[in-house]
Amino acid sequence: MYIIGENIHIVSEKVKEALASRDREFFMDLAVRQVEAGAKAIDINLGPRKKDWAEVFPWIVETIESVVDVPLSIDTTNVDGMEAALRTIRKAQPILNSTSAELERLEKVPLLAKKYGAKLIALTMGSSGIPVEADARVSIAVDIIIPRLLEIDFPMEDLIIDPLVLTVSGCQQYCPHLIEAVRMLQYAWDPSPMISVGLSNVSNSVPAENRSLINRVYCAMLMGVGLQMMIANPFDQKLMEVIGWIETKDTSTPLARLYNKIAERIANSDEPQIEDFDLSDPEQAAVWKTTQILLNKVIYAEGYLNQ
Amino acid sequence: MPLEIPKDKWPGSVRTVTLGAAAAEGGTRTKTVTIGGQTAMPYLHFEASPPHPPAVAVEIKSRPPEDWSPLLLEAWGELVNDPAAWAKKAEEIGADLIVLALTLADRPEEAVNVVQSVLRATGVPLIVWGPGQAEKDNELLVPVAEAAKGERLVLGICEDKNYRTIVAAAMANGHLVQARTPMDVNLSKQLNILISDMGMPKDRIIMDPTTGALGYGIEYGYSVMERLRLAALQGDAMTQSPMIVTPGFEAWKTKEAKVGSGVPEAWGDWKERSVNWETITAITLLESGADIVVLRYPESVARVKQAIQELMTA
Repeated sequence: MYIIGENIHIVSEKVKEALASRDREFFMDLAVRQVEAGAKAIDINLGPRKKDWAEVFPWIVETIESVVDVPLSIDTTNVDGMEAALRTIRKAQPILNSTSAELERLEKVPLLAKKYGAKLIALTMGSSGIPVEADARVSIAVDIIIPRLLEIDFPMEDLIIDPLVLTVSGCQQYCPHLIEAVRMLQYAWDPSPMISVGLSNVSNSVPAENRSLINRVYCAMLMGVGLQMMIANPFDQKLMEVIGWIETKDTSTPLARLYNKIAERIANSDEPQIEDFDLSDPEQAAVWKTTQILLNKVIYAEGYLNQ
Repeated sequence: MPLEIPKDKWPGSVRTVTLGAAAAEGGTRTKTVTIGGQTAMPYLHFEASPPHPPAVAVEIKSRPPEDWSPLLLEAWGELVNDPAAWAKKAEEIGADLIVLALTLADRPEEAVNVVQSVLRATGVPLIVWGPGQAEKDNELLVPVAEAAKGERLVLGICEDKNYRTIVAAAMANGHLVQARTPMDVNLSKQLNILISDMGMPKDRIIMDPTTGALGYGIEYGYSVMERLRLAALQGDAMTQSPMIVTPGFEAWKTKEAKVGSGVPEAWGDWKERSVNWETITAITLLESGADIVVLRYPESVARVKQAIQELMTA
């Protein structure tokens, strides 16, 4: 699993403060620790920085590249900021995160990625918002995004499609569709486009104590349909453990076996079955309940584990 | 060629809930109302007829309403000054239930008195709403719950910010609660979980998923209710409570019902339009699974009851 570390994100109060004081040490430390924890690239989301982009984007790129060699994912909607960052990058091939399928974005952002030799994340979101159905998302990739990239002669091996994870708390019906979208997108082009998702979005506005569980169960399902890249939290040890179990087909413990079973069921276009779970084990019971909300079988509520 | 109609067979059902208690059960009601028990989506008689018809409640207030449409005030006339007489009249014109809304001006002893006088004047079960401000709700509903112990009132309105005191008062005195959430299936289920976690028996919870009037978001309310009902039938215990909605309140705050002058002539007769707005809102919500509709206008009660009779006929 190619993990793009998500922790340099402006929603974090600490990141906000560190940026305000231009605290280089803070960002250097956060980048190094993410790479040590297993991140293969570092996402940088400091927002659009409408006023100070010309200074902030080169500053953060230079700061982080002073301590790590991995690719940086430039995560912003500000096209000027994107270019300022890309121009500064000296090390690995960067990732431009992202363009949508809206015409105005598709007009500019892919050209920028091409100019600087960056990989490009393209969201399957058109001007009329995010479609629910899996095949509608695939259509956006096939009918809008890919033709535009072919038109500008963009190297297709640098395209990464993000079919958009939405939160189980409020957009629950999207969760199973996203799994199917990941499955189908691999057939959207030959060779298969890379696919990446923002995993933690699935547990946005979920109480903090339940987020990791929801993230790792969803991750197991997505690995079942072949997901190999995601923006996620490399400090989440339980998530990293589940990824390891599935990647190595480790079935040495009941829990490792269970997560592999979940991935296998989803891989076979099947659903986890209650007999796969030892419900007398509270952790397995919690995983079972989590599969049911993620597959939109049982309505999500904050207290879903207590039901 | 014979046509085979596909039928759904659901593993779950809506919980059966009884409002009001007769003398034998420790109350004073001459009629009780039982709702819920459905094992199919609304009125699909070819799958399973609903075992109980939905109930029509009429909303009255402890003091003359200050912000109600003049049409409502005209229809009820002097009765708005006398909650007991108002409730009695509502029962006479067909209300299955009375909703008594207390106001911010009420003191606790006044609230108790008005609840008792309404109970004396009527035989149907009573739903009592606080004025909708957490502190005041608790201040009024706790003594009301104690004074009417055993009547199986419905106490409301529990919301996620304020439910504990009301639930505790209902549990201690044999009442039910109305659990309201803002048009969202997740929040609706969560409040049910929180209330059940306090030890409230599940057959004493009525869900209020909130709704909008015709033309003002009713489609959102409709789909939330439909989704909750589907989950209930699929067996999700925390969505199986019967549902109460307030089409009267919603319809009578729309411009179409509220405003009589300065509107296009094509809108037609003010009164007829308003009654239609309330009636159509209510009937739409019945179709989406409402078990109790709370109305305001006398004529709407008759029309909605007529519609219920037709809906209940297989």
